[in-house]
Amino acid sequence: MATGALILVIDDELPMRRFLRAMLRANGYQVVEAATAREGLAHAAGRNPELILLDLGLPDADGVDVARTLRRSTRAPIIVLSARGREHDKVAALDEGADDYLTKPFGAPELLARIRVALRRAAAPEDGLVVRVFTSGELNVDLARREVLRGDERVHLTPTEYKLLAALIRNAGKVVTHRQLLHDVWGANCEGQTHYLRVYMGQLRHKLERDPTRPRLLTTEPGVGYRLRDD
Amino acid sequence: MTGTRRAELTEEAGRSWRGYARAAGMVLLATAVAFALRSRLQAVDAAMLLLLGVVAAASWTRLGPALVAAVVSIAAFDFLFVPPFYTFGVRNTAYLLTFVVMLVVAVTMSRLTTRVRQEADEARARERRTARAFALSRELADTPEDQLVAAALAHMRAVTGIEPLLVSASGVSVLEGIAERVAVGWAIEHGESAGSGTARCAEAEALVIPVRTAASRHGVVLLPVTDKDDVPGDEQRLTLEALADQLALALERAALAGARDLARVEIEAERLRTALLSSLSHDLRTPLAGIEGAATSLLQGADTLPPAVRRELADGIVEESRRMTRLVTNLLDMVRVEAGALAVQKEWQPLEEALGVALLRLEDRLAAHPVETRLPDDLPLVPIDGLLIEQVFINLLENVVKYTPPGTPVTISAETAGEGVVVSVSDRGPGIPAGSEQEVFRKFYRGRGVGAGGAEGGSGLGLTICRGIVQAHGGRIWAERCDDGVTFRFLLPIGGLPMPPVPVEAGS
Repeated sequence: MATGALILVIDDELPMRRFLRAMLRANGYQVVEAATAREGLAHAAGRNPELILLDLGLPDADGVDVARTLRRSTRAPIIVLSARGREHDKVAALDEGADDYLTKPFGAPELLARIRVALRRAAAPEDGLVVRVFTSGELNVDLARREVLRGDERVHLTPTEYKLLAALIRNAGKVVTHRQLLHDVWGANCEGQTHYLRVYMGQLRHKLERDPTRPRLLTTEPGVGYRLRDD
Repeated sequence: MTGTRRAELTEEAGRSWRGYARAAGMVLLATAVAFALRSRLQAVDAAMLLLLGVVAAASWTRLGPALVAAVVSIAAFDFLFVPPFYTFGVRNTAYLLTFVVMLVVAVTMSRLTTRVRQEADEARARERRTARAFALSRELADTPEDQLVAAALAHMRAVTGIEPLLVSASGVSVLEGIAERVAVGWAIEHGESAGSGTARCAEAEALVIPVRTAASRHGVVLLPVTDKDDVPGDEQRLTLEALADQLALALERAALAGARDLARVEIEAERLRTALLSSLSHDLRTPLAGIEGAATSLLQGADTLPPAVRRELADGIVEESRRMTRLVTNLLDMVRVEAGALAVQKEWQPLEEALGVALLRLEDRLAAHPVETRLPDDLPLVPIDGLLIEQVFINLLENVVKYTPPGTPVTISAETAGEGVVVSVSDRGPGIPAGSEQEVFRKFYRGRGVGAGGAEGGSGLGLTICRGIVQAHGGRIWAERCDDGVTFRFLLPIGGLPMPPVPVEAGS
């Protein structure tokens, strides 16, 4: 068990670190802890962690700056932890290169799921992410043939809907910010036009979800973006 | 009168010159008439005519011209009508009495006239002062508190032409001259005017007028007087004092109103604090007690408790923690709503998404209630802050959990209605008491819970927060009682904003 991935926890709150340490160790990960941004950056450089849990509310530095600095020095996935109501910070951290986020308070299963997705994506070779076939629940997408199936039924998507779905599949399991999706699907000039995204997301849900008002597959990350579930 | 301004002096001189001319005119006229009629008049009749001239002169002028008129009339009478004629000699000494009478009449008449005229002048001056004070008091009634002083000082400047300034009791030290400081100190202490043009500290190069009421002191108005000729006269000083009184009243009124508002706010805040504290202490302690109890049981019985019990305790901890999270979230939202700190970041979006987030978040708790959503396909995008509107849905749906029996359905629908989109959340619970449609939105209002959560779990803030959020969107929220259950509706205005275009593609 002690040979599990090394996770760096950067959080100034002792109870939080205690909870994370116990939970992560119980699930076979190794843990190194830091209470400040300075300590965290030092550990990131010295211990070479495979994943970083970064609290955005550190006392000695702006969490978004820390995320940016970390991203420059390491390729390890970064999952940011932050309080509710700080969506702006989360989006900023994600745009600076963080891989995912969790809103405090959160449960152990949520965190473990995020860690699994992040580690899996990090472990895959760069071109390994270009999957040929994506499957999640009843959704089946053959990316080579641009074919989308819901159960046994073929679903017809417009080119934009397909581009949106493909962008989400490339990031399957991971949150994708509005800005990133707009950039990928509509181009750099449309990054402010979130309503495009919302309208097409609605259309996509109506075609792919059993109950579009309660999406299971294409979930909303309020104030941040969307996530395509792949578990 | 220690000080009289130059203009008044000139006016006085002019008046007195005209007075002598007028007196001379009267005497001349009376003498001419008497002289013309002298063949038909006796000396006594001539004296009467001349006396008439003196009376007229005395009643239209002052004492000086009246006396001159009397003396000239006596001389004319003696010269023209008293034998021996055309000399100032007097043969019959009885005429001397006539002279005295004429003199006495002149003095008496002019005194009476002067007094009447003075009284009239004073009345007019009083009237002017009152009118000025009244004009100022009317103006001050509509003047914002921070401009009261400026408005009053402007009136004072209009009276004197001198730029006045308000000096507070603590501001005395900024004055340079010792005499002025003494005058200000005296005026503040005694509540009477001092300085230039008054009996007190007259050497000061300023007139100092206290601004005070019986109950409060607001410092003094100071009018710098560098030139002796500019010293305000009594009349002006009285006017200035009347204006200063009006300013003092206005300042006192403003201070009282401020204190009253503050007191009201404080009472309301105190009431809320008390309510909040009692609600908090109960609502936060209950889950905390559960959490601590379960956690300590787990610790103590780590090796002995059967797995099923351990699981039950852990479930309890999770559930109670979530309840506390909801409470704290509500409290924080309430604080933001109250502080007017809701930063609404509107984006055009389909309602379906905000509703979807709320439904998913409440999925477990709403499991006992069939949820029907009726959103028309052609529902337009609405300009909303998704995070906030989600909270409105969450709070409304949490009420369904708390206040309606398990198994009863809830319907969520939306429709375009003129100015925007109206969203309705209808339940089939026991409803709300008649007449409480407004009351339910009041802070800390709690209904009687029958649902799974029980009303005890509520903060009494959910609907208040909903109202705050909807209002921050420029909309409104209301409750409608129905035969079975209650419907909460809220209007989200589209506000005449054009819906942004979305690129259309073939085959969509």
